[in-house]
Formats: sequence, structure tokens, C-alpha cells
Amino acid sequence: MPKYAMVIDQRRCVACMACVVSCKQENDVPAEHFRTRVVENVAGEFPKLSMELRSELCNHCDNPPCVDNCPTGASYKKEDGTVQIDRDKCVGCKACVAACPYDARYMDPEKGFADKCTFCEHRIKEGKQPACVATCIGKSRIFGDLSNPESTVSKLLREHEASVLISEAGTRPRVFYIKG
Amino acid sequence: METTITGTNALTYPHLHVWGWEVVIYLFLGGLAAGLLVMSAIANFSMRKPEEKDQAFCFKGPFFACLILVIGVFFIWLDLGRKFNFFWLYLSFEPLSPMSWGSWALAITIPISGLYGLSAVPDTYKGWLKFDILKKVSAKLNPFVRKLAVMNFGLGIFIGIYTGVLLSAFVARPLWNSSILPVLFLNSALSTGAALAIIMAKRTSVKLYFTKIDIWLIFSEIVIILLFFYGHYASAAAQRKSIIPFFSFNGDHILYGTAILMVAILLPLALVIEMFDVKDDIVHDLTKKQISRMKVSAAMVLAGGFIIRLAIVYAGQLSGLS
Repeated sequence: MPKYAMVIDQRRCVACMACVVSCKQENDVPAEHFRTRVVENVAGEFPKLSMELRSELCNHCDNPPCVDNCPTGASYKKEDGTVQIDRDKCVGCKACVAACPYDARYMDPEKGFADKCTFCEHRIKEGKQPACVATCIGKSRIFGDLSNPESTVSKLLREHEASVLISEAGTRPRVFYIKG
Repeated sequence: METTITGTNALTYPHLHVWGWEVVIYLFLGGLAAGLLVMSAIANFSMRKPEEKDQAFCFKGPFFACLILVIGVFFIWLDLGRKFNFFWLYLSFEPLSPMSWGSWALAITIPISGLYGLSAVPDTYKGWLKFDILKKVSAKLNPFVRKLAVMNFGLGIFIGIYTGVLLSAFVARPLWNSSILPVLFLNSALSTGAALAIIMAKRTSVKLYFTKIDIWLIFSEIVIILLFFYGHYASAAAQRKSIIPFFSFNGDHILYGTAILMVAILLPLALVIEMFDVKDDIVHDLTKKQISRMKVSAAMVLAGGFIIRLAIVYAGQLSGLS
């Protein structure tokens, strides 16, 4: 069984926002809502500035608080490691939105269910990469199977020091960041 | 540091705002009903040879609690994004979801509290029941009134505490993520229940009985609130930052500071007034002035309970880990 994960190589991100747009288009995300975002942090005083570009999305955590707090089982963790939502079962209580430390979820404004990044599950089934990965011009986003030691994600995590976001929350994310 | 974010969702940026006045009203009414159930059970336990007049609160309390819970559930239903999908809550039980526990507990407590009320109706009050079927059910349940009181005591404690557990389970919201929060919510529920019992009871002895209970509950509530804030102050940076809105009194946060000031005034004042009410052993019927004073102090406790929930629900959504 695959264990899907994503590695974001921040050295290669140029904040073109193509991932934000392609995700929105691929998944028909409602207007004014997003499944992924890009954070630009600029620190220091001119001319001694430093910049961090960081794309964020659902981390498909191994210890997902959104799944634990869902009262109907609409949010669930699949065997492949991705966290998905059964829209039929969702009552729109928003507990999962409140539970997520990464603010990865939103509520569909028309239909009232919770929604978020699915790692483009429909594309993975066809052997394709998630839309944000496929469109990334800098090859900053890398998606793959951690259970395959020869996959790009496995190799990158072996060869580089990687971190996760808000590790103190104990969520054990599956999105890893390489900074240097 | 200058931060620019492309792709924010209004629901979570600049801070979370998913739950509003509907949830606050449910939390208050749910706690109030829970407290009322516990108080009516205590009244039942304490009356070994009750005069029938003293039993009035024993059956009115659970009926009111049942009605308050139904109204509270209506408000929480209003908050759902997919209202007519609510039945999914009852097609599964998610053991790690306090919201699932609460859904089932409410579905059980509402009818059980009604049955308890029916079982506690004394013969002189049977005319209060409009329909013959209710009178028959009441007569059949009467031998089980003590058992139903015990059940309602337990259900009241559960309903009073689970909402605090629900909020405290959100590690992503540091203000809520405290083990003291369920204790605070339970204490507040019991205190508001005792306050409503003071207002509802007709007899002096019953009013004074619940006033004495409420004095201890208000005192413990004040201590728990202080410990809640101290616990956050003494904790990690995210927890410490989460209580700033209550103490900053700047433009954005003035309402939270005002809320905490109001609670700081209302609860101690109610405590002092109630202590005066029981200062002397009162055996005669209360004067109008004394009754008014009791109702005022009870109303202060109710207002304090509502403000605590309002402030914690809204301020908790300002807090985050990142």
C-alpha cells in the first residue's frame, strides 16, 4: 500500500502562484476559497533582507485532529495515508475547520460541506501527479510514495534535512519542507 | 517581518471564525439545562420525607431543562452548514469525537429528562398534566423517580462537561486547549442551574437551599477562572498569547476586556448578595425586597455564565499555533 507524501523544496519556489491557480482550476474550488496558498515572509531591514517562500496545503497528517473531531466519520484517513472527506456524511459542523492547526480547510459556500486538498486523488488514481505538482515551474513540489525507497520523495528526505510545520501540535504531517 | 499570503480563506484568515452566536446560545442553554437537571436531582435526593409542595421544583426543573435543551439543540442545528444531513450524527458513533458523544447524549437526555419530570409529578399537581396519557405515564413512572433522578444527575454532569471537553480537544486553538476548560464549563453550568432554581422555586426553604449551593459554586467558579488564566500565562508562548485579548483593552480587543471585567464584577457581587441572603436563618416567607434581591443575584449569575461562554468561544477563535 503506498504512503503518499509531499516534499516542498523551498529553495526552488519562486512564488509564481501557479500551484494556487492550477489547484483551483483542477478541483473547481469555489470563488474566494483556496486549497493551497503561498506565504511570503520578508524579514530584516533593507538592504539586509531575507525572504522565505513557503507553499502550504493540507498536510494529510498521520495523527489528524480533523478526523478525530469529526462527529460523523465524514473526515477519514485512507490506507494510502491521505485524509479525505466523504461529502455525503458531512453535516457542516465545522469542527474539522476549527481542529486543523494549518487552517487547511474551508466550507463550500453553496453546499455547506467541509473541503480541502485531496492530493488530487482523482489524478493519482490515473497515475498522474497532483495538479500543483504537475504545474510547478520550479519543481519545488514533489509528490510520491514514501513506502518506495527509490521514489523521489524518499530520496530527498534521505539526502536533505527536512522539517514539518507546527511539529509541536503532534499531528505528524506528511508534507515536508526542505529549506537548505 | 512582513508577510504576504496568496490563497487565504476568509473562514480562517486573519483568524478562525466558524462559530458564532448560535453556538454560544447553545453552550449557555445546554449548560443551564444540565445544571437544572443536576439541581432537580439533588432536590429529589435531599427530600427524604417531602411535603408535596416542596416537590414542585423536582418536576418543574426537569421539564424546564428538557424545554431549554430542545431550544438549545435548535440553535446548534441552525449553525450546521448542511442542516438536513444532521441524521448522519446518529448513524455512527465516533469514539474520539466529543461532538459525537454530545449528539448522542442530547438525544438520550431530552426524553429522559421529560420522563423524570413526569415521574416526579406529585398527586396534587397531576392536574397540571393536560392529557390523560401523560397522567398514566406519570403514575407508572412514579415508583422509579429516584432511579430517574440518579440518571438525570449523571446526564446533567455529562452535558455540562462535554462542551468544555469538545473545545479543549482542539490543539489548534490554544485558548481552548486547556484541561481546566471542561471543569470551568461544568462549574458554570451547575452555577447557572442553581441560579435558575433560585428563581423558579416558590418556597423560601427551597430558594435558600439553592442559594447556599450557588454560593459555593460561584466561589469555585471564580477560583477556576483565575486558574484558567494563570494556567495559560504559565504555559507555552501560544497559550500565553491567547489570553492577551482579555487584558489588552485596545481597539480590537476591548470587548474581551470588557467581558472579563463584567464577569469580575457580576460573580463576586452575586456571591456577596447571596451570602447576605443566607446570613440569617429565615423561617418566615421572604419579603418582596428579599425575593427581588435573590432574583437579581441569580440573574447576575446567569449573565456571568453567558458572558463567559460568549467570550471564550469568540476569543478562542482568535488564537492559533502559527
